[in-house]
Amino acid sequence: MLAIDVQDLRKTFKVQKNRGGLKGAFLDLLSREYTEVAAVKDISFQIPRGEICGYIGENGAGKSTTIKMLTGILVPTSGHLKVNGYVPYKEREQFVKGIGVVFGQRSQLWWDIGVIESFHLLRKVYQVPEHDFKARLDELVERLGLQDLLSRPVRKLSLGQRMRCELVAALLHNPSILFLDEPTIGLDIVVKTEIRQFLKSLNEQFGTTILLTTHDLQDIEALCSRVIMLDDGNIIYDGSLDELKNRWSRGREVHFQFGSNHSLTRLMELTQGLPVEWTPENDLAAKVWIPLEINVSDVLGRIVGSTDITDIKIVETNTDDIVRQIYQSGSANERIEQEKASERLLHV
Amino acid sequence: MYYIELVWEYMKNYMKSRLTYRADFWVEVISDLMFQFTNLIFIFVVFRHTNSLGGWSESEIVFVYGYFMIPYGLFSCFVNLWGFSERYITKGEMDRIMTRPAHSLFQILLENLDPPALMGSLIGTIIMIVSGVQLGIHIEWWHIPALLIMVVSSVLIYTGIYTALTSISFYSDAPTGILPLMYNLQAYGRYPVTIYNRFIQILLTWIMPFAFVGVYPASLFLQREDMTRMALVTPLMGIAIFAVGLTCWNMGVRKYRGAGS
Repeated sequence: MLAIDVQDLRKTFKVQKNRGGLKGAFLDLLSREYTEVAAVKDISFQIPRGEICGYIGENGAGKSTTIKMLTGILVPTSGHLKVNGYVPYKEREQFVKGIGVVFGQRSQLWWDIGVIESFHLLRKVYQVPEHDFKARLDELVERLGLQDLLSRPVRKLSLGQRMRCELVAALLHNPSILFLDEPTIGLDIVVKTEIRQFLKSLNEQFGTTILLTTHDLQDIEALCSRVIMLDDGNIIYDGSLDELKNRWSRGREVHFQFGSNHSLTRLMELTQGLPVEWTPENDLAAKVWIPLEINVSDVLGRIVGSTDITDIKIVETNTDDIVRQIYQSGSANERIEQEKASERLLHV
Repeated sequence: MYYIELVWEYMKNYMKSRLTYRADFWVEVISDLMFQFTNLIFIFVVFRHTNSLGGWSESEIVFVYGYFMIPYGLFSCFVNLWGFSERYITKGEMDRIMTRPAHSLFQILLENLDPPALMGSLIGTIIMIVSGVQLGIHIEWWHIPALLIMVVSSVLIYTGIYTALTSISFYSDAPTGILPLMYNLQAYGRYPVTIYNRFIQILLTWIMPFAFVGVYPASLFLQREDMTRMALVTPLMGIAIFAVGLTCWNMGVRKYRGAGS
């Protein structure tokens, strides 16, 4: 069964056009002009139950807007949407009982009262039976190590502590789908790892479907079997992370450190016939870019014997670089070209 | 039942978080009462100069004022929408509300409970009783249920009007300046509408029906036959206005766009 089913989902906002200057401000007062801006442009995707899916994209790509439609906060402009068997904005109150939501930038907890009191209040709001609540709370507290924090007011918690409490708050009613909007934003590496492990085990143990947006690709690498990438309101990639890497990574870089002055022309001569690119760094160092279809050892073989090398470092393109590349490759045409190029590489 | 339980839970939490600042609690109670007291003084000053105001005696007007304080206190306690636009729309707390399984308006009212305002209702009851004794009103058995119904209706009217006006925040991002205007207008309802000109009478009865939170229902107990009919309309008005407010709210929520990112 599908946890999330989205078809041709679209959301447009009316944005007021402001004319400049004092005169413009007066004119705006009398007659306003609006422009329609589409934040999400007819996207479709399906997420089966039990999947952990990463939802990535630049700021303003439409991630949060999508999440807000999926959680019933925003009403879509057009398109079909079914989450957990409900149309979120239509049967909101019934629907939200089955989902958990964590917005990394905003707290779900009450600021003034103790953490445990917030949890008790949520129990009442979600109408969780006392017995289930106790068992679940004990387990979550145990797993996230919150024993000492429970009596403290939320405003006195550190960000990492608060985030763990937010997770508990979102899970007390045992939701089958968990939405996380930037859950690791601003957290240190230890807490990040802890949260990732926790989510992973949650998914394995209860089969909770998780959809998370993030800017930290390590979250994705650690958790997600699938990535959906959004750009300017359109889905530009939907598939596994490995495939994404293969499709977009275009080569490796080898950094050389030389014992004596090298000459770039000499290096180029040595690698003549191979489609590699040399970049000088300084008198004693240079790097070469090697496309995927060429073996690194071929290049090394030609260089090593004839030059005085003290150090070699091979750098694989990492996910951050790949994603940055995709984000930066502005227009769609360029993207298609790149896609063609990478396709060619794959077929070799 | 679910909702009543929630009111109790939120109330408990209010007490827990607020009673730690005990001084703050009392300052609020006292400033609230001072505010009401100055209004009362105004009535006494007016009656230094005249014996009757449009056919109403001082005690009668004080009685109406006492009645007004009861629904007003309840309203201030349970329906506190002052900071709504800023807190829930601009800061985006509405998102959190929307992901919880209870009606959005109800949740917001619960999060902004202001129990110190209930003290006003208590004082109002006392004023009503004192001036009622002065006027020689005999308390009959139906006074109690009638008072309850009238008070609830009056609270519904206030709630409806303010909910409808607050719903405007869903459409425009900037907070609207209409609430202070309403605040001034609602004070008019505490005095017999017959002292105003025709236009204001119609305004207070049918357009912004603040007269139903004060003079009309109170007149039932004063046995002023000129207004008994209007007094009996109060419950209907309460239900109607509340329905309008709730409809506006629900429409607004659908229009809600959420704060950026």
